[in-house]
Amino acid sequence: MDLARVRRLAGVLVASQLRSGRSTSDPRSVFGRPGFLAAVDGALFLLAFGAGLLVVDAVRSPGAPAGGAAALTPVVASVLPFLPLVGVGVVLVAGMMFELTTTAKFSGSDAANWLPLSPTEYVAASTAAVAFTYSPAVALSLGALLPLAVVVGASGSYLLAALLSLIALVEGGLLIEMVRSVTQRAGSIAVGRGGRVTLVVRAVVLLIVILTLQLAFNPVIAYGFLERLRGAALITDSVPFFWGTEALLELQAGAVALAAAFVAAQVAFLALLLELAAQLRVRYWVPTSSEIRLAGVEYGRGHPGLAVLGLSPVEAAVTSKDLRGLVRRREMLPTLVVPFVLIVLLFVEGGTIGVFGAVLWLAWVAGFSALLLSSTAVGQERRALQTLLALPLGPADLYRAKATAVLLPTTLVSAVMGAAVGLLFHLTWPALVGLVALAVTIAVVLSLWGLVFAGRYSDFQDRPRPQFVRPAAMLAATGSGMVILMGIAVPGALALFDTFGVPWLFAGVAVGFGGAVGVAAAHFGRTGFDRLFRELPF
Amino acid sequence: MAALPSGGPSGAPSPALEVVDVSKSYGTVRALQGVRFSVGAGEIVGLLGPNGAGKSTTMKAILGLLRPDAGSIRLFGAEVGTNPVATKRQIGYVPESPSLYEFLTGTEYLDFIADMYGLDRATRRERIGQFLTGLELAGHEDALISGYSQGMRQKVALIAALAHRPRLLILDEPLNGLDPRSARVTKDLLRNLASRDGVAILFSTHVLEIAQAICDRVVILDHGTVLASGTFESLRARAGLAGSGLEEVFLALTGSGDLGDVVAALER
Repeated sequence: MDLARVRRLAGVLVASQLRSGRSTSDPRSVFGRPGFLAAVDGALFLLAFGAGLLVVDAVRSPGAPAGGAAALTPVVASVLPFLPLVGVGVVLVAGMMFELTTTAKFSGSDAANWLPLSPTEYVAASTAAVAFTYSPAVALSLGALLPLAVVVGASGSYLLAALLSLIALVEGGLLIEMVRSVTQRAGSIAVGRGGRVTLVVRAVVLLIVILTLQLAFNPVIAYGFLERLRGAALITDSVPFFWGTEALLELQAGAVALAAAFVAAQVAFLALLLELAAQLRVRYWVPTSSEIRLAGVEYGRGHPGLAVLGLSPVEAAVTSKDLRGLVRRREMLPTLVVPFVLIVLLFVEGGTIGVFGAVLWLAWVAGFSALLLSSTAVGQERRALQTLLALPLGPADLYRAKATAVLLPTTLVSAVMGAAVGLLFHLTWPALVGLVALAVTIAVVLSLWGLVFAGRYSDFQDRPRPQFVRPAAMLAATGSGMVILMGIAVPGALALFDTFGVPWLFAGVAVGFGGAVGVAAAHFGRTGFDRLFRELPF
Repeated sequence: MAALPSGGPSGAPSPALEVVDVSKSYGTVRALQGVRFSVGAGEIVGLLGPNGAGKSTTMKAILGLLRPDAGSIRLFGAEVGTNPVATKRQIGYVPESPSLYEFLTGTEYLDFIADMYGLDRATRRERIGQFLTGLELAGHEDALISGYSQGMRQKVALIAALAHRPRLLILDEPLNGLDPRSARVTKDLLRNLASRDGVAILFSTHVLEIAQAICDRVVILDHGTVLASGTFESLRARAGLAGSGLEEVFLALTGSGDLGDVVAALER
């Protein structure tokens, strides 16, 4: 393996991702260079290190609770072994969302297939790029733990944890590469021909893969799992991803030889993963173009279901197209997976947060899912927006069509989730109906709010990790969305459980606030769509 | 105001398309500067120019996708933007790189387009069916577009532009990726649409033989300005290249005529 070539290609892959943003497309911009990401890692490490120092100072101060720095020992002892799991978990959880859903154009790596590179070199470079992209999370945790580990005398464990975290980061990247190869195959599941069933199978396979890995490596679930397995060494010993954690636990217990054995096993596992990933890449070097045929589609059948909702034929055509895309497009799958993951988490951890917490959680799932889907409603058109805007439809038509395509799934899913949570917590029928109404209201308001950002700040660029909305706008949408969400959910929940004996007052506040925001969002969303028609935004 | 370079064969009183002194900048880059030409009904006008000359920008401005900084664009006598939806109903457009919805089948995509133009079921079946057969796409229409080759995508984009019988066709490199038979069918079809149905066609291509074969006039853009426009014969006379082909005329007018040194250097 030519390491210089690997490093060069990894640099290009990272740069291509960094420069795909509008503000970083200038090759001279420092934000478009891989070194920028290294600087971010460094800055986050130092920031977290500073925060760690503050904690150390606080526990050492005269007014601190008894125990002083010694109180940190059990904290460090329990957190350090968890670090390698952070590495692999972050790459897998984020990677499943953003790496696996790229279109074949990018994941097929046709741009590199013709280069004189071995499969191992390509896999190593691509893995390094993925690991590097998600490294800030590891830099943050390592920075925060350094002063704590030094002060409790666990420097040796810390260094080993840092090494194992980096190995875990790369292992996560390799897993992503492997799943990418396999799902590339799933993307063309029936080589040659397939039909409607193939389309459904493909979507379900990808959903299950993403959902399973999201849940398996979700920090909340993984930590709980690890806590439950303390003492069940046989089980953790058999799972390679826990070997790093095992090594650190053995080192803490003074079993240096055993710790070394686990580290060696972890390194061997890394080599094995690299070989497996390379073999899979050889097998799926060139993605097989699939031919999926959907026979029985006739011209001019119209969209009677959507016409009932009052949509014109033009609007119904756009809505219908979007709904098809939602279930057929690989890059839209994360949007579908998010509510599933969050609601499963609620069912796993529901017992610990209580019914009030569960209602707020449900509100968050309903609102966040609606916001995600609606804010991406325009950007997911990508370059086809040019085709759409050249067709005889106006801004109002497009707005109504997009709003319907978002509101139909989000209100339906929110209602079902609301009913499920109501049944899980054995709510009375009136409370259950109220909960469903609350979830649907939040979904509607946040859907309209997301469309405000969709019309103004969509990202239409073809990029390896599609984001559909400019990053800063996504942050703004999420932040403001959460404020709106709480402004409806908290009084709504207080009304639902009659906490202060004035349920109608709280219900009025929730409805009034939600209604005002909804009306304002509809207005600004509509004017945002006007801007789209004034000038092609790319 | 100086007369627009026009003079289509039909001699229609009001051109289908009038581009009058249009300018457009992207930041500090001046993409178009005082661009001026027209296309009459039944006329095929070739929009030629080197890469980055402003051809696609001009076409997008005509469609109302870009707003010019100065100048005006009139379609069938009405300013672009006055009634954009009604105007777009009369236009068929093939972009330079057609971005189709890959998650739809050919049938679903064309049905979607037909919905947008309000075509009835019988018309869809008849016209789309004819185009599918003529362009040898029949039998592939039920497959997802994601599995189509570049040429097949181009054919779908062409059918989508033609199915509703537009009065003006804006075609940005429409023959890209087409096999020789389909390219020939398309060229003949465009000629017929112009001469028989009076469709005005603005046609951009880098293949100068095609432009020479089917265009009544050409407009040559370079660095965002109209370098020359007129019939092939008038351009040949202007370049002082009697008896030459459009390629020599084009290279002479765009100032890249003597390429011998370049080729020699590349061969070294």
